[in-house]
Amino acid sequence: MSTERATPVADTNQSRPRARRTTAIASVALLVFAVVLPFIPPFTGQDYQRWLVGAALMAAMAVAFDFTAGYINIVNFGFAAFVGVGAYTSGLLAANLGISPWIGMVAGGVSAGFIGLLTGMLTLRLRGIYAAVMTWFVGLALMGLARNMTEITRGSLGLNVPLLLDTSDNLPYYYVILGLLVITLGVLTAVTRSDLGLAFRAIGQNLQAAKASGINPTLFLVVNFTLSCAFAGVLGGFYAHYYGILTPDVMLTSHTVEVLAVAYIGGRGTLWGPAIIAFPLTIGVELLRTQFANLPGLHLVLYGIVLILVMVYWPTGFAGLVRWVRDWFERRREGGRAAPAQAQPGA
Amino acid sequence: MLQLTGIEAGYDLLQVLWGVDLHVQEGEFVALLGPNGAGKTTTLRTIAGFLPPHGGSLTFRGQSLIGVPPHKVSTIGVGYVSENLNLFPAMSVYENLLVGAHTVKDKAHIETTINLVFELFPRLFERRNQLAGTLSGGERKMLAIGRGLMPSPSLLLVDEPSLGLAPMATLTAFEALKQLHERGVTILLVEQNVNSTLHLVDRAYVLEQGRIVLEGTGQELLGNTHVQEAYLGI
Amino acid sequence: MTTATNLRSVPLAKRFLSFTWIVIGLVVLAMVAFVFVQPSIVVDTLVTGGMWALMAGGLALVFGVMNIPNFAHGEFFMIGSLVAFTVFTPIQNWMLENPDAALVQVVGPFPGMVVAAIVGFGCGVLMEGLLFRPLRKRSRDQWVMNTFLLTAGVSVVLVNGNRLLFGNDFRGITRYWDVKPIEILGVPISVDRAMVFVIAMVTLAVFAVFLQRTRTGRSMRAVSQDETGAQMAGIGLNRVFMLTMGLSCALAALAGAALLFMFPSFPDVGVQPLYLAWYVVILAGLGNVQGAIVGAFIVAFLQTLAVYYVGLGWVDVLPTGFIILILLFKPSGLFGSEVKGVWEQ
Repeated sequence: MSTERATPVADTNQSRPRARRTTAIASVALLVFAVVLPFIPPFTGQDYQRWLVGAALMAAMAVAFDFTAGYINIVNFGFAAFVGVGAYTSGLLAANLGISPWIGMVAGGVSAGFIGLLTGMLTLRLRGIYAAVMTWFVGLALMGLARNMTEITRGSLGLNVPLLLDTSDNLPYYYVILGLLVITLGVLTAVTRSDLGLAFRAIGQNLQAAKASGINPTLFLVVNFTLSCAFAGVLGGFYAHYYGILTPDVMLTSHTVEVLAVAYIGGRGTLWGPAIIAFPLTIGVELLRTQFANLPGLHLVLYGIVLILVMVYWPTGFAGLVRWVRDWFERRREGGRAAPAQAQPGA
Repeated sequence: MLQLTGIEAGYDLLQVLWGVDLHVQEGEFVALLGPNGAGKTTTLRTIAGFLPPHGGSLTFRGQSLIGVPPHKVSTIGVGYVSENLNLFPAMSVYENLLVGAHTVKDKAHIETTINLVFELFPRLFERRNQLAGTLSGGERKMLAIGRGLMPSPSLLLVDEPSLGLAPMATLTAFEALKQLHERGVTILLVEQNVNSTLHLVDRAYVLEQGRIVLEGTGQELLGNTHVQEAYLGI
Repeated sequence: MTTATNLRSVPLAKRFLSFTWIVIGLVVLAMVAFVFVQPSIVVDTLVTGGMWALMAGGLALVFGVMNIPNFAHGEFFMIGSLVAFTVFTPIQNWMLENPDAALVQVVGPFPGMVVAAIVGFGCGVLMEGLLFRPLRKRSRDQWVMNTFLLTAGVSVVLVNGNRLLFGNDFRGITRYWDVKPIEILGVPISVDRAMVFVIAMVTLAVFAVFLQRTRTGRSMRAVSQDETGAQMAGIGLNRVFMLTMGLSCALAALAGAALLFMFPSFPDVGVQPLYLAWYVVILAGLGNVQGAIVGAFIVAFLQTLAVYYVGLGWVDVLPTGFIILILLFKPSGLFGSEVKGVWEQ
């Protein structure tokens, strides 16, 4: 029977200078590609650019989600609700108090982070499935509140939110969200590479051993969760000021499942995996949706099937695939002498 | 009846058994002895179907057991009483025995066997409606053996019945096994309690670091210097 | 370890002073009080509770025996309601044309429910064979979370599959039995709702007997308590898993079918039953089937109170708050979970 580690082992390759250089080059190349993409047909069209915005937003959300799920092993099933908290905070501040959306987004991050802090403290006693279900319930409660406090949120009627930029062109929004993606990915990756990140992984893999090593799990658990929710809140703020209208449906569990799918298909516990895979996935899903508009739901059915296939047969996802390919090249280079650094996915 | 030849088995990357040869004839009472970590439990688990070996042959009455899932092994006539007992804690003693008889079709036969078990272990009869999770250590061992007997196995594999038991309870367990043997059940016993075991069994093997190092009758091994030094403290 | 077993050896008085019993006592007391003050609350609780008991029972069963938290459980409710609609509509048309055929008027709704349960059973078996068995073969590491996420994927496929094949329309019926409402405790209640309670209780009673008294039911309980021990006793795990999954989904489908008059069939109809079933199961303790049935009535009680005294929109917020409170004090649920090693996962 094969074993699949709770979180992928730290990519030990990164300690080697050549590998670090490859990663750096790849990252820059990908970023440049993302920046020039809107100028390459068919991405020049408004439809495609709208999808690019959506993809980058999904990428950033998946990164924030993976930060918790992939490192401290807690699946935040109420994730969409935290995005919604940020969205409503920023949206309400802008709509009612005329506060600039940029500040609003930060405020959204703070409020979502605060609720994340409270939720984290609630779930710190629970593990695994209980924590996931608890976050799910918190998300449901938040959505219920948003639905019912109609005097404030206008409930399902929708809240009109001032836009971020004074333009109906999607391109500037794309660069804003791309910037947010880079910040999110950068900050969270830096955290995972730090001692803090080491502690996260220790807790995620073996709670008892971590405790015995003197790590106070409660502190780290809460810090991680709060950070993840804070980023979710900022992204929620962007969401509000991009789409311009906000309903409690933004907090639906099915949205969390979408983010979750991207995170797992991209490769749990890597951060970059979900960030990259979000683009082809989102664009692909949108293409399917428009091409087969007479077959409603088809795109999501395929989405779900991909998630299922990944969970059953290739749990390390896209990132696992990349690693496998890279290890294959390593083996070729070393003449088949060295064994791969990790267990083969699906073995 | 039971034949292991060159069995190689292990867990994932850790190989435990390195070419184990042993056999048990019908009606024999054979022991598998050795220090902790030698692979005795692994051997039983391999026979019972929980751990497919990656090398060697394993036959029961001429039929290969390799690749046979554990529940089928039980149907073929090999009973297994594991080290952890694996009882059903939220079921009563009686229910545990009933479940043990899962593969038995004849209701009357089940009743007869249950009565037999209660004869063998009167304490179990007293506690027949008590939940298995609340029994004492010795009672749980008895229940585990009793449950293993329910399908009337031809060969019974017993893993460390005396483990964690007070001397009195150990005596009861061994007594029960002796009685079973006298009734015609073939037994392969894994034990750490070398002295009592060797007085009880027909033959024994000594397993060290995944290999059989000694084989002989109970008396022969009692007189063996290695056994005396390593296991009997002489 | 199961708290149920520990109860036996604890002295009677201490046992009843436990947190769980206090909560149950309070609820029962409140309900008794309401019989005199506001009987409709009691009646509503019983009817709603019956509904959720079917859903929650199936969910608890699958968790207890297979250690699978089924996030797609609500989708089998959806399948049940769809099947029932498809089967019942032609029957209903016949019933409308032949109002004097008394026998058909009485038994007309049942074929839809029976077929729904059978289809639900089949879907459950399929899911186990196609999805969980391959996963089990690959690795049992992180089993609980992996299966949870896997069922999230299944949920997406089923909801959108329904949308794809049958569209977003609401397919409902106004009622099953064209009869005047009956009176219980002075409270008028439609026959359809009363029948849901009866169907739920009968089904659960049969199910309880099955689990406790039959060889197959016993084998399922055995697997839920110790898989290795069950195999040692000659019980084949795959067969038990298929049966368990099938039964669980059949119960959910039956609930969907029985409630067609209240919950019309449409792709997202399973969302509310899903989280309500989860409320109950978490409140009662994961994997505890009897606890889930009792818990269903507690949650129904809370819901009814919320609707009466606060408002329809808050119907779910009150139970959520209550459950969060319970989880803070007793994370394993009111009746204790009977799950294998869930803490390590």
